[in-house]
Amino acid sequence: MAGPAIDRALVLHVAKLASLSLSDADADRLAGELAKIVGYVAQLDALDTRDVPPTAHLQIDRTPWRQDEPRPGLSHEDALAQAPRVEGDGFAVPAFVEEK
Amino acid sequence: MHLIEVARRVQQGEVTAEAVCTAALTAIEAKDGALHAFLHVARDEALAQARDLDTRRKRGDKLGPLAGVPIAIKDAICTRGVPTTAGSKILAGYVPPYDATVIARLRAADAVIVGKTNMDEFAMGSSTENSAYGPTRNPWDTTRIPGGSSGGSATAVAARMTPCALGSDTGGSIRQPAALTGTVGVKPTYGRVSRYGLIAFASSLDQIGPFATDVRGAARVLSVISGADDRDSTSLRAEVGDLEGACGRDVKGVRIGMPDEYFADGLDPEVGASVRAAIGELEGRGCVVKPVKLPHTSYAVATYYVIATAEASSNLARFDGVRYGLRVDPRHDLRALYGATRDAGFGAEVKRRILLGTFVLSAGYYDAYYLKAQKVRTLVRRDFDAAFREVDVICSPVSPTPAFRLGEKVDDPISMYLSDVYTLPASLAGLPAMSVPCAPTKSGLPVGLHVMARPLDEATMLAVGAACEAAIPCASPP
Repeated sequence: MAGPAIDRALVLHVAKLASLSLSDADADRLAGELAKIVGYVAQLDALDTRDVPPTAHLQIDRTPWRQDEPRPGLSHEDALAQAPRVEGDGFAVPAFVEEK
Repeated sequence: MHLIEVARRVQQGEVTAEAVCTAALTAIEAKDGALHAFLHVARDEALAQARDLDTRRKRGDKLGPLAGVPIAIKDAICTRGVPTTAGSKILAGYVPPYDATVIARLRAADAVIVGKTNMDEFAMGSSTENSAYGPTRNPWDTTRIPGGSSGGSATAVAARMTPCALGSDTGGSIRQPAALTGTVGVKPTYGRVSRYGLIAFASSLDQIGPFATDVRGAARVLSVISGADDRDSTSLRAEVGDLEGACGRDVKGVRIGMPDEYFADGLDPEVGASVRAAIGELEGRGCVVKPVKLPHTSYAVATYYVIATAEASSNLARFDGVRYGLRVDPRHDLRALYGATRDAGFGAEVKRRILLGTFVLSAGYYDAYYLKAQKVRTLVRRDFDAAFREVDVICSPVSPTPAFRLGEKVDDPISMYLSDVYTLPASLAGLPAMSVPCAPTKSGLPVGLHVMARPLDEATMLAVGAACEAAIPCASPP
């Protein structure tokens, strides 16, 4: 297939999906770099894969389910110890529910 | 001194673990200023652990198979109470509250963890130049890179700061730096070693494995860290077997495949000659060498960079400035917090790969890129399945060139990606593969022989690696 045009708008769209804030200058540079890489990847189109199943993972045996029993895990204190901001007994985040 | 001899002497009380540990710390102090293999040296913890071993031995306890052996750990592997950054600014100052399974197993075997080693940020790179903390230098020639992404671990072992180290290999990140620094490096079968506590890059490819100064030592470390783990549902329950014993096995009659595709255009002639000579030595020891075809080899780079970046874009979504690591909160707004934290915390190559991975998974492009790459991955696997009906191992170069110079490829991502062309196919197929030193180039740069084997057949791979080592002894840098 003909590859998509990778321009600043597409890079900014993908960056938004990836939760990355990019400056316009970075977006322009990355558009050029990604266009080259996507152009290189286009060589896969040469292969006929119509009847080939995809490989998603390589697990060669099946792990049995374990009993659903509680086991010791990280303490509340340990889990919060590395958080950049803690409020009360949880991770602190800015408000994200719109108030009407 | 190789690690098995270190362990024997400590077990028998010929030397204390504290003396061994002090010698390693002194070597790091003397050498690492010029090389920068370490991001963090856990001096106090290591000495305390070593003294504790000495106390236990004096009390009459029998020490484990890695008694007092100093080991360096790639900074992508979580170590309780010891900083772990994965070479990224976004994890600066992060101190894990738990040990990776491999770390717990090393401690149980009485190894002494001396520090955390430099790496390309989140293991994305082939030169260790993508570390947010500055590059590592190759001990054989400090104007050159040590390979990557586990370049710090390879350098720690090559410069004899520690006799062994752990790395992780997603597309060649153990084997390529091992080749470029003249050390032994092993990527086990996918699932052989638990990934619990390894900071994830591409989960269907990542595997932890050892570096060592000799093949038998690498086999011992691999036996310690291998085996099923409840905390990693992809870890295999298969028997590990006697890997160390395999290193002494006669290789007479072992069938070695030489793939034409790995000796084609782009291979440095001196590297090619050294690898062919090593295979000749194996033939002299009774191995049977025959040509094999791996026709989809040239598609592996493109396939890998779609699959690995897709998985990375998902795995790295967890770095959002909320639970750990860096937080940049410019407007007290959640979306802006995510975006600004990730923009400030990730380096250029990581951003490039997150964007590529997000793109190939996005609506409208998924089938054309991600699904297509997964199908080609099947073709690469089928190549190996067919070849392994004819031969027991496949031998090739690890890297098409010896170590390149710092800065040589940083501005050309595709050229950097192509340096992994010989290691990526085995990663895509989940095969065990190793690098073992063969004869250096005329200018004295190390070259590695790549030995790939059937899934779970680390034993035959190590037998062939050990036979190569016996024929071509491994030197240490000047």
